[in-house]
Amino acid sequence: MGTATRAGLRAPQTRGAPATVLSEAGAGWRRRRHALAPYWFLLPYLLVFAVFWCWPIIDSALLSLQNTRVNPWAWNLAINWRRLLVDRAFQEALKNTLIILAIQVPVMLTLATLLALALNSPLLKLRPIYRFAFFAPVVVSDVAYSVVFRLLFNGQFGAVNHGLAALGLAPIDWLHDPNAAMATIMVAVTWRWTGYNAIILLAGLQSIPRDLYEAAAIDGATPVDRFFRITLPLLKPIVVFCLVLSIIGTMQLFTEPWLITDRGGPGGATETLGTYLYKQGFVSLNFGYAAAIAYTIAAMAAVMAALNLMLTRGRKA
Amino acid sequence: MSGLGRIAGMMSGLAGAAVLALTAPAMAQSDVKGEITVWSWNVAATALKAVVPDFNKAYPNVKVTVEDLGNQPVYDRGLAGCSAGGINMPDVYSVENHESEVFWARFPDCFLDLKSLDAKEADLLAKFPKFKLAELTVGDKIYAMPWDSGPAVVFYRRDMYEAAGVDPAKIATWDDFIAAGKTVQAKAGADVKFLSFNSGGTSTTWFRILANQAGCAYFDETGETVTVSQPGCVKALETVKKISDAGLFMEGDWDGSLQAIKANRLASSVYGAWYEGSVRGNAPELSGKWGIFQLPAFEAGGNRAANIGGSSLAIPASSKNPQAALAFINFALGRPDSQITQLKASGLVPTLPDAIHDPYVQQPQPYWGGQKVWEVVLNTLQQIKPARGTQYFAEADNIADGILLAYLKGGSKSAKETLDEAAEQISAATGLPVAE
Repeated sequence: MGTATRAGLRAPQTRGAPATVLSEAGAGWRRRRHALAPYWFLLPYLLVFAVFWCWPIIDSALLSLQNTRVNPWAWNLAINWRRLLVDRAFQEALKNTLIILAIQVPVMLTLATLLALALNSPLLKLRPIYRFAFFAPVVVSDVAYSVVFRLLFNGQFGAVNHGLAALGLAPIDWLHDPNAAMATIMVAVTWRWTGYNAIILLAGLQSIPRDLYEAAAIDGATPVDRFFRITLPLLKPIVVFCLVLSIIGTMQLFTEPWLITDRGGPGGATETLGTYLYKQGFVSLNFGYAAAIAYTIAAMAAVMAALNLMLTRGRKA
Repeated sequence: MSGLGRIAGMMSGLAGAAVLALTAPAMAQSDVKGEITVWSWNVAATALKAVVPDFNKAYPNVKVTVEDLGNQPVYDRGLAGCSAGGINMPDVYSVENHESEVFWARFPDCFLDLKSLDAKEADLLAKFPKFKLAELTVGDKIYAMPWDSGPAVVFYRRDMYEAAGVDPAKIATWDDFIAAGKTVQAKAGADVKFLSFNSGGTSTTWFRILANQAGCAYFDETGETVTVSQPGCVKALETVKKISDAGLFMEGDWDGSLQAIKANRLASSVYGAWYEGSVRGNAPELSGKWGIFQLPAFEAGGNRAANIGGSSLAIPASSKNPQAALAFINFALGRPDSQITQLKASGLVPTLPDAIHDPYVQQPQPYWGGQKVWEVVLNTLQQIKPARGTQYFAEADNIADGILLAYLKGGSKSAKETLDEAAEQISAATGLPVAE
């Protein structure tokens, strides 16, 4: 794996380090006590982790096996999982999520790579300013930016349609036409996350040793050759890292379809797994079914991430 | 977001004819004491605040705090509180009728049966129209008192109708209405649409208004079968489709519709009467140009009343002062003059039919061209047919939303086939059978 990916793992590694140092200090019992010491320091965190992570994870698994629409809740191992298999609204939400995944993520990562290359160019002046400018969308609250996008894409009074009109193009009803609404969501998500991914990719680019390029240049490699033969292969682990992050993010997509296209509208055209989960859990108050959906989302994200990692590793080997 | 639309839907007023004496608690009014907190939203909260001074004249020892949390937070925090076993709840809780049943069904112990608090409460509750109580009643328990309601009417631009030579008094049926719409649009030009689709979080508003007019809903009155494919609903959906096919709709959510009204781009709007305050507040400069008339019927002489929206007040079981909370609810919702106070303050539509006898209701309203709009609105109250949201409302509406929209946008199925599909999916999601 590339250096940058390893850098991403640095945090857990340093966490283990003090134990190693201490355990070299002395006799067996002391060693054992010292080996335990880090866990005492970790205890507050572990307690919080147990209460706010482990317990909800276990409890939601149990919830998914209960009928939560009766009083009191009753065990019914299959009710929610069986519904998941036949629920067309869930299938629509899944389909929409996968469409966004298939279109938005590749477009965004391509843009992010190009952006990273541009930001890495020695010709560029005022680089920090550009870096910040492209990273800035992530700093903005997702609610705030969603509201602004909703205004920009308003069919009658929005700036986007004014721009189209100025170019002599017909206005598009961005928020009420099913396909246009989907496009709006993708544009919004791309605007927000492209810069973020570009910064990660930029870090990867900067970790590629310069002498590789120098050697290639001496051998007569063209810039295009250098990009496809050096930059891209060495950048691949970072791209995969961005891809995994984006997949997980898209699987959980919620704020944009909830706020920009008004709760997954029009008519469910932008309903994602995230909005459907929320509606089941916190609008219809069916916690059991919501838990089943949540587990499905998590499982799919995990499978896709694993698949990505396996594919890239396999090719490298 | 859709919050706005829903908020508007919820606010409305109360009315009432009822006699205060009937509501007087068994103990003397000065014996009722303590502090109560009320959760509500926007103009609905404003309306309740307007009632507090009068309430304190009658109940000097009760301190009322009305908290304006916003519509969605009230629902969300109520859900969180009830889920956690009834903690952190106020003494008086505002809930939209069509959303309310999910609380009674999932958390039957989170709110008090109002009748259990006072022997005379049942008599007061009986004064409200049946359609308002349907969603608040579970068995012999009544969990909340009806607050405002949303009789649907047609709001229209007098000048645009006149310019096109359309007389609203002659619009008796939806077919007349569609013909009028074509005439008005032809005269007013390309920028003007006859109606707003009033989409928001859901595109089903039109369907639900017309279905209620036809006596149909997602579920039957007992909440035990799915009735969305029954003839009344089919008729409603076919009518919405006719309006849509005639090109009379502009796409517009809550904000978009109000902007269009202000920009003189909308000739009519069909909505709950609680829209009155929003039209008036949004476009004060259009005073005198707007009027209202009752919904067109499906056939000449048919029903012209329907309801969309409306809220209620409930008392959480965790309240430390349930008697003070009950006194406030009875005072604010169970008396005509309090209801009129709220009608004036926020345009909340009275629910007590007796409110129609209040002099204010009979007054011509200057903004509406001197029309007695409240009389027109309240006259429909008794004709409104009950409709149960049931605990599955949100689910059914979400399913219907997509299926109906596909039909209206030109799917190849008939209205009946469309609703059969919706019924089947709602049945699968809720486990309730489709009505024969």
